Amino acid sequence: MTRGLNRRQIGVTEEMIETFGDAIFRMSHNHQIRDGDPYRKLDWDEIERQREQMGLSDGQIAARIGLTQNQVLYIRTVLERRRFHTGHYVRLLELGGGKRFRADRFTPHLNHFAFSDDALALRAAMSYPPKLARKYVDEGWWGHDTLTGWLDRHVAERPEAPAIRAGGITLSHGDLGAKVANLAGALAAIGVERGDVVAVQLPNVPEFLIAYLAIARLGGVMQTIHMPYRAAECETLLGHSSAKAVICLSQAKGYEAAQVMRNLQNQCPKLKHVIALGPPVPGALSLGDMIESELSDELPEPPVASDPFLLLYTSGTTAAPKGVPLSYHNILSNARLGAPEHELGPDDVILSAAPFSHLYGAYSFHVAMAVGACSLLLPVFTPPDLAETIDTGKPTGLWTAPAHVAACMGSGLFDTADLTTLKLVIMSGSACPPELVRAFQAKVSNGKVTQLWGMTETQGGLYSRPSDTLEISANTAGRPSPGTEVRIIDPKIGTPCKPGHEGELQVRGPLLFPGYYRNDAASEAAFAHGGWFRSGDLAVEDEAGNVAITGRIKDVINRGGVKFNPRDVEDLLDGHPAIAQSAIVPMPDPVLGEKACAFVTLPPDVTRADAPTLEALADYLLQHKIAKNKLPERLIVIDEMPLTPTRKIIKGRLQVPET
Amino acid sequence: MARRTHDIDPAEAKAAIFEYCKRKGALAVGVADLETVERICPPGYRPTDIMPRVKSVISLGVGGQTQGAWSVPAKALGYFGSTESRGYTITYGLSFMIESKYGVPSIYCPPDMDPDAGPRVPLQSLKVHAEIAGIGARSLAGDILLHPEFGYMYFSSVFTELELEPDKPMATNPCPAPSCVGMYKQIGRTPCMKFCPVQCLDGEVDVETGEQKVMRYDMAACAEMTQQYETVPSAIMNAINAADPQDREDALFDPDNKMLWYKMSVGSGGLLAQCFECMRVCPIATKAPLADPILRYEAAEAAREKQQTPAE
Repeated sequence: MTRGLNRRQIGVTEEMIETFGDAIFRMSHNHQIRDGDPYRKLDWDEIERQREQMGLSDGQIAARIGLTQNQVLYIRTVLERRRFHTGHYVRLLELGGGKRFRADRFTPHLNHFAFSDDALALRAAMSYPPKLARKYVDEGWWGHDTLTGWLDRHVAERPEAPAIRAGGITLSHGDLGAKVANLAGALAAIGVERGDVVAVQLPNVPEFLIAYLAIARLGGVMQTIHMPYRAAECETLLGHSSAKAVICLSQAKGYEAAQVMRNLQNQCPKLKHVIALGPPVPGALSLGDMIESELSDELPEPPVASDPFLLLYTSGTTAAPKGVPLSYHNILSNARLGAPEHELGPDDVILSAAPFSHLYGAYSFHVAMAVGACSLLLPVFTPPDLAETIDTGKPTGLWTAPAHVAACMGSGLFDTADLTTLKLVIMSGSACPPELVRAFQAKVSNGKVTQLWGMTETQGGLYSRPSDTLEISANTAGRPSPGTEVRIIDPKIGTPCKPGHEGELQVRGPLLFPGYYRNDAASEAAFAHGGWFRSGDLAVEDEAGNVAITGRIKDVINRGGVKFNPRDVEDLLDGHPAIAQSAIVPMPDPVLGEKACAFVTLPPDVTRADAPTLEALADYLLQHKIAKNKLPERLIVIDEMPLTPTRKIIKGRLQVPET
Repeated sequence: MARRTHDIDPAEAKAAIFEYCKRKGALAVGVADLETVERICPPGYRPTDIMPRVKSVISLGVGGQTQGAWSVPAKALGYFGSTESRGYTITYGLSFMIESKYGVPSIYCPPDMDPDAGPRVPLQSLKVHAEIAGIGARSLAGDILLHPEFGYMYFSSVFTELELEPDKPMATNPCPAPSCVGMYKQIGRTPCMKFCPVQCLDGEVDVETGEQKVMRYDMAACAEMTQQYETVPSAIMNAINAADPQDREDALFDPDNKMLWYKMSVGSGGLLAQCFECMRVCPIATKAPLADPILRYEAAEAAREKQQTPAE
């Protein structure tokens, strides 16, 4: 409408707007050019000459072009509307008070960074029950912790204190901060942005932690890939995560990791960069060069605590890997609250025998970062290397798995290594035989051996404390970590069990992941009403609230309608002198439905000829009061047990051959 | 109304009018030559188009921001920066004063936009009135008028059938200031050009004479920055056109746009032409001796002290 008349009455068409619009817009007041100062000087010749460049009225434009005044008015206002961009006003919000606009430093709002679709999908996955989120904030469990914030604090407060020790190298917090900034700058320079996933497949070397912190500094998300994984697993994981870059070794023990990743770029089109640690690889960037790049000037705003920053894939003991997105809220609150429970402080030296690619290993670093402690690195676990690292590195805290300890104890390495500096040992990663805890505690004269239960979905859910008795630490995984709620649910009827009764361990709390990434079915199955996570682990809680992990629900064997958990049988078999490790799985039976089949490996000094027979094992178990219906009814000796990176047995890979 | 202009001494009337305006708070007052204004302004926008028997155009300027205002964040300045309503009040009163004292028809010149042409076209150019009345000269900052003593002012006008002796435009233009010429020599831009948030200002300075050579002003870009009333229908249109329901919701309810609805509902400041960054960095606008209320106060104090000091 113009002066009460519509387009039809004025006689304007879209074609007329197209034809004359720009000319009208430019002849109007919207663009003005004045030469000299003719009005003040009353220079009439110049005033007349400049009328059009100073802007004509609608009537003047109409006469100039040959349109009606209403047509000019209509077309001009249409153009003004269509060319009008909103949102410029927000530029003022950052100006004034001494701060002036700088065109060379300004990015128009339309050109501002926007999260990619993949990054938004990952952020959308960070969905928590609102009531619980409110509670976690109110209780102070979810705060402003970020790895970047923690690193900055340590750099400011204790720049010279050691942050990482590996071999003969020590990096102070100051050194670490500088390298992290360099790498973050270099990653930004190749296009890694907030929310992007960067995969890391490295052993426990300083570059792993530098990369981790640099990705975090950019607001990125680190996806870990376990070292044993090869092309098939990597393709699945990189494809699922939509990783933009991968950081890996140039080669490891003959495996051309970087070249494999380069080849995977064909199958994973979103994988833009391969960054290699080690000798140059054609087509791959050098991680070493990037860490020394000094490109740290143009870093984006640091991340905030609600951001996702870790994307881990479950160790897959039961099924195909599932992506677990984790925020700083989940992970760092758990570490911050856990450090005092573990009685660790800034002067401690923490060693993890578990890989950082697994959340249990990463937890050791998170706790170290929470307090500014030093992380002592063991690149890859072998019994001699662990013993030597403890002996020479003199850690005060040790993160380890029962299998690590059993291997070192079995080979006598802990008889000679100096364990006197250890004040805390945490054992986790699989069900822990009480005898092993007791035996290791006997070696750790100045410290306490504790147990921890956690999952990729939870980090540190339960643990015994250094102040607990040996029997609590030997027989249970302790009590919930601060803020964590647990309950034991009877799987048959879905109600909480009484103390002493076995049921499924369910967990809730600020530590808990929000759900599996891009796997709604798995997420739906994983949570019970009220936001409780079904761990799939069987557990028993005592009157004091200590929880003993007794097995996996999926490991339960249903023999003719009588269900039993084979964990106690496995514990006994593991203690048999002619068995190194055991795992009992169900095998189909046409009459009973299922029967127990025991897979065992043998110690180095036992040959297959000397391996115990099924009958001998049955006698052994009966002597230890095992009920007859729980006896294994088939025995299979294997050379090597399939293990997760944290040395949990992958029962799903134990396939019972047909007889 | 009886017209008795023959009884009126034009010089005396002009002095009385100026005295009235200054007493009410105007910093500068002048009378524009009607013929000149009529010749400059296009048909439809001349004083006679509003008041056919107008004889004189009186223009006055009131002070802009306080010195404190220039140092606050821009988002705060946007709210209290405008003082033009003070000018309107004075001219409104002046039109009554002329009628009641001299019995001559007068009007307070509407400072609004032309309803026939939309909100980017004023009904009358208060700028031309002030310039021809000699109380401001066009600057490189999009032709905003500046005064060497009073700096940046808001202007308002009275049309009257009272015939008054017109003043002349200013003999010299204070823009660009010497410091701005210095900057132009170094980087090819003056402060207003450099710091405009939408870079709508451009121009050239004759470095030999220190005078303006070319002023270029992208008013459309300036409007995008400052004219929030244009954002209102744009925001609604964005919402209508948004395919994504979340984008549609944001287009109406994000904090920026909710501020628009708030400003509209309560008539809050910052709704019109609020930017001021070119003036914030202009040495004339902020540092002209009598543009600065603190300097005005100090000058008045000094004058009072001088009066009170006994003659030796």
